[in-house]
Order: sequence, then C-alpha cells, then structure tokens
Amino acid sequence: MDFLAPLTVALPLVVAAILIGGAHLWPSQWPDAVAALTAATVAIMAVFLAGAAAKAGPLVYWFGGWTPRHGIAIGIAFVVDPAGAGCAAFVAVIFCASFVFSWGYFDQVHARYHALMLIFLAAMAGFALTGDLFNFFVFFELMSTVAFALTGYRLEASALEGALNFTVTNAIGSFLMLAGIGLLYGRTGALNFAQLSRALSGHSADGLVILAFALLIGALFIKGAIVPFHFWIADAHSVAPSPVCVIFSGIIVPIAIFGAARLYWSVFAGSGIAQAQLRPLLVWLGTATAVTGGLVALMQRDVKRLLAFSTVSHMGVLLVGVGLLSAGGLAGGMLYLLGHGLVKGALFMVGGILLASCAGIDEIELRGAGKAFPLTGIAYALGGLLLAGLPVGLEHQGRELIDAAAEAHGYAFLAPILSATGGLTGAGILRGAGRIFLALGPEPGEEQQSPSEEEREQQDRPVWLMLLPIGAMLACELMLQAFPTEAAVRVAAASFTATGSVVATVLDGATWSPPPAPPGVTETQMMGPIIGLSVALGIAALELGRHHFPRNLVRVADLALGWLFSALDRLHNGIVGDYVAWLMLGLLVIGGVLAIG
Amino acid sequence: MNHAAFLLPAWLFVIGLYGIITSRHFVHLIGCLTVVQSSTYVLLLSVGYRTGAGAPIFADHPVGSPAVDPVVQALVLTDIVVGATVTALLLALALQVHKRKGTLDPQRLRPLRP
Repeated sequence: MDFLAPLTVALPLVVAAILIGGAHLWPSQWPDAVAALTAATVAIMAVFLAGAAAKAGPLVYWFGGWTPRHGIAIGIAFVVDPAGAGCAAFVAVIFCASFVFSWGYFDQVHARYHALMLIFLAAMAGFALTGDLFNFFVFFELMSTVAFALTGYRLEASALEGALNFTVTNAIGSFLMLAGIGLLYGRTGALNFAQLSRALSGHSADGLVILAFALLIGALFIKGAIVPFHFWIADAHSVAPSPVCVIFSGIIVPIAIFGAARLYWSVFAGSGIAQAQLRPLLVWLGTATAVTGGLVALMQRDVKRLLAFSTVSHMGVLLVGVGLLSAGGLAGGMLYLLGHGLVKGALFMVGGILLASCAGIDEIELRGAGKAFPLTGIAYALGGLLLAGLPVGLEHQGRELIDAAAEAHGYAFLAPILSATGGLTGAGILRGAGRIFLALGPEPGEEQQSPSEEEREQQDRPVWLMLLPIGAMLACELMLQAFPTEAAVRVAAASFTATGSVVATVLDGATWSPPPAPPGVTETQMMGPIIGLSVALGIAALELGRHHFPRNLVRVADLALGWLFSALDRLHNGIVGDYVAWLMLGLLVIGGVLAIG
Repeated sequence: MNHAAFLLPAWLFVIGLYGIITSRHFVHLIGCLTVVQSSTYVLLLSVGYRTGAGAPIFADHPVGSPAVDPVVQALVLTDIVVGATVTALLLALALQVHKRKGTLDPQRLRPLRP
C-alpha cells in the first residue's frame, strides 16, 4: 500500500510532462478530460492511503530504500498519516472540480494551463505527505512558483502587477524558510522531521531554535495570509483566472496553516518553545486576522477581492483552531479547512460565471445583471449564509470544535467574536447576492464606475457545466455531515498530534498504538450561528437599504465608522515595499514574543 | 562557530530588505531580492563550513579525511535553481508591465487602483 505514497506526487508530474510534450497534438477537449481524470485518480489513491494509515498508523515510505540506520535517518521519507493523506485527497478533489469548471476555458493555451495545474497538484500532495523538512521546502517552493506563473497568466496590467506583488512577498517567505532550515540543520544536523524532533526535545529552547521557529512559521504565515503578512492576497486573488482562484483561496492558503501545524507537532512540540507564550500569540494573531479580514472584505465591491479578504478572515479562525495547540482545536481546524475550501471554491466559481456571462466582477456595475441566472444566485447566497454560520455542514462542525477547545483553554470569550467575523464576511457576500441577482440597493450613479479595468473570461461555455462543480461542492459541504467525517477527522487529529509515537514509528519502526481521539461536541450551541447570521443579514440589509434611511442618519454613521474603513483602505495600498515592511514587523512580533517568554 | 559568520548573512538580509522597501524601480527591487536570497546562501554555507576541511569530493584525497558538509551545499544548489526561475519570471513580468504602463515604479503601479 505504501507504494501509493510517491505515486500521488509522481502521477500528476508525469501526466503534466506528457500533456506539455504533446501540447499541439491533443484535440481541444482532451487536456481537460485527462487533467480531471488524473486529479480524480490522485484523490482515490490518497483516500486509500488515508484509510490504511487510519487503521495501521502512519505509513513510512523511504525513497530508494534508504531506511534509518541505528535510529538515524539517512534518506528522505514520506510519512503518510490520516490527516496528511486526507489533506492530499481533499486537494485533489478541489482540483478535479476546478478542472471541470474550467472546461473549455483555456483552449487557446492548449495544454499548458493543465500541465501547470497538475504540477501544482503534485506540489501540494507532496507538501501534505512529506516527512522531511527540506522536501517540505521544495514542495512549498514548487507550489509558489507555479502560483506566480498562473497569476500573471492573462498578461494584462492588473494581473501583472498583482503577480509582481505576490511573487516578491512570497519569494521573501521562501528565503525566510530556507534560513530557518539552515539554522535548524546547523543545530541538529538533521532534516527529517522525526530526527529533528528527537534532537530538539529535552532541551530548553534557546535563541537559535526560537529564531528558526519564527522564520519557518513566518514563511508559512505569508502564504497563509495571516495579518500582517496578508497584504499580497487580494492583489493576487482578484486578478488570477477564476479556476485558479478556486485553488488559491480554497486550498493553497489554508494548506499553509496546515503546514504550520505540521511543523509545530512534527518538529517543535517537544523543543521547549513555551506553550504559555505560543498559544496566546497564535490565538491573538488569529483573532486579529479574523477581524481585519472581515472588516476589509466588507469594504470591497470587486466580488473576487471581497472573497479574497473573506479568506483572510477565515484563515484567522483556522489559526485560532490550530493555535490552541490541542488535538480538539486542531480537529476543529481541519474540519473548518474542509468546509471552507468547499464553500470558498464554489463562491469563486460563481465569480467565474459572472466574469464569463456578465462580463464584469464589480458588484455595483453588475446590479441586476445576474437576474437571468437564478441558480447561480442561490448558490452564491447559500455560500454566504454558510460562511456566516448557518448551523449545518462541515464548516459549522469545525467551528463548534474550535469553540469548545477555546473554552477549554480559557478563551471562551473568543467564540462570539469569531462568529461575528464570520457574519461580516457573510454580510459582504449576501449584499453582493442581493445587488447582483435581485437588483436590490440604490441605482448606481455616474461616479460609481468601477476602478478596475474591463475584464472578461472565456465566454460561450455552458453555464450548467460551470454550475455542476458548484452544486457538487456545496452538496459535499452539507452531505458529508451525515457520514462520520467529524469522528474520522478527530481520529486523524489525534495521531497528528501524537509526536512521540510518530517519531518512534518513523525512526525505530515501533508498532503503532492509536492515541485516544479528542472528544466531540455533544451539545449544539445556537449562540454562534445566531450572532453570525444576525450580523450578516443585518449589515447586508443596512447596506442595501441605505437609500431608504434618513440622509442625516447615514451621514452620522459614515462619520462614526468612516475613519476606520478609510484607515484600513489606506493600509492596503498596493505598494509592495510597504507590504514587505509589514511582513518584517510581523516577524519581529513573533520572534520577540517567543524570545521574551 | 565564529559569530561573524552570522553577522554577514544578517547584514545582507537587512540591506536587501531595506532596498526592497525603499525601491522606486522594479528591476532594482528584483536585484535587492537576490541580495536577500544570497544572505540565506551565505548562512547555509557557513553552517556547513569546517575550518581546514576540503571539498566533499573524495576522488583526490582519502575517504575519511575532513570535508565540509555536502548537505547544505545540496540545499543551496537546489535553491539556486528555484531562485533563478523566480528571478527570470519576475523580470519577464516587469518587462510586460513596462510595455503596458510605461513605468516600473512600485509607487505608481498599484493593482486595481485608479
């Protein structure tokens, strides 16, 4: 069974090479079909791996048969645990949906788009499965480099500028990570996660280990869009082609937070980095991210930009789940990752339908333009409600687990705040749904012209074919609740966090004894959904009904809140130098807080 | 290890970042990015350095004689490949931006802003 582990990475790479090799030979629909089938195959293989790992413990695959000698790792290993394999399967499923959605979109570029996307898939599968720090870095780099190319693909001014900002900030992230790896290697002489963990545990964390941790985690936070590392995200996500955005917001950003969790539990859990400092740091960073992302999302009129900032907000919630440093919180985070990926992917696909069918993405210019697409509108509104906190689906289950873990660690007051931030992002989406699909809200005036350039994505693709993956993803989000997904994720989180057992399995070949799964949530709390939904519906109604309120009241409200929004707007100024300055500030905060402790 | 070996990469890192933050031209900015990148290479190579040791090639001296750590060199080599790709991509993007906007000043190129 463990031979499947390298195949999940190798198969998409080989298919990509074949596709690009014969780019001009394939009939026009072929690359679409081949790519979707490949993604589906990877998903099936990863599901098998996850099942096997859940039964027998982590599967360890040593490349070239270079097994450890006397407890010292020599070769490079894939360590397939249920969480990693599940993550790879999820990635492949979203890719498959994205390929179906983009059917016929990229005919002119022949198979080049599909080849890039398959390399992207291989990189993410490897990132989720690897058990070696440098391998982790290489897949991280591969993921970034492909993403840079896919962002600038349209070769129009805004796409190019977005891609430049994206590339510069994320390249700096890669350098930070490499420096962190160098420091850790200098200390321990190891690159294997298990070997590193064994070498670091038992000592108190000195400056060098803390610096290395801060560099690694900072690099992942850049990709994971955590405040103040998040500035690049909207510039990149609002200009990339919609099928690529589905991947960007749905998985590449969350998978970076997954990578941070992987690094913490696989390497640093026993290293003496004090949980007493790390937990509040991560939880507060997450909360700040959730609030900032929600507020900025609300200000956007470009649908894709709005969705990008809502991703920032949700990454904050995910970070809170991971940052509680408990198996329960992590299980919540993983469920949240699944639910968020499905919903956000579907929402970006709706954006893609608007771009293809209505030739626009600006909410105000598109007022009423979506009336001909009722199903699309329903999907968009449903996505908004789910993000706001509708008490069904995987995302809701994840949120409940995170809330329970937060309560267990003395952060009970965070639950309503996080629910409200979900409401903020939901409000932006519902406002858009009302305006675009129901023509609610005031008539746009002359000055309401959109600031962005004309853009339109490949037309004359059948709308039903684009609706198909949207429906499937939303159905998955709602239906998977009926299967024991939640219990499976809790088991996966338990073995993910059982550092000692994993190390013994990898290095000594010890037999695996499954750790106890964290408890589930028995009692449904209705408080969170009520707060989230009332914030979402309330704000959406206020914004759409703005012209019905007395003029003075609106002016007072603008005066009271305007300074906050204009300050936030000024911060997201599109200048890459400022982004880099913020990034360094964030790094100093992380390093400083950990060093003082 | 000598502490000066850490000071040099730190200096390269900081000066490169200063360049990026204050840059008024994207080609200059990309150059600064490679300075930051080289800071990590210097760090890695000094981590693997051993005083008086030779290159980790045992063709012309006996197996077992002291050699510097080949692992970090492999890491650096891998990253140089990726770094070259990213730099080439960035320069290509910059060229295309210049064709469309006629400027490469980051302060004037602001995505999705009028």
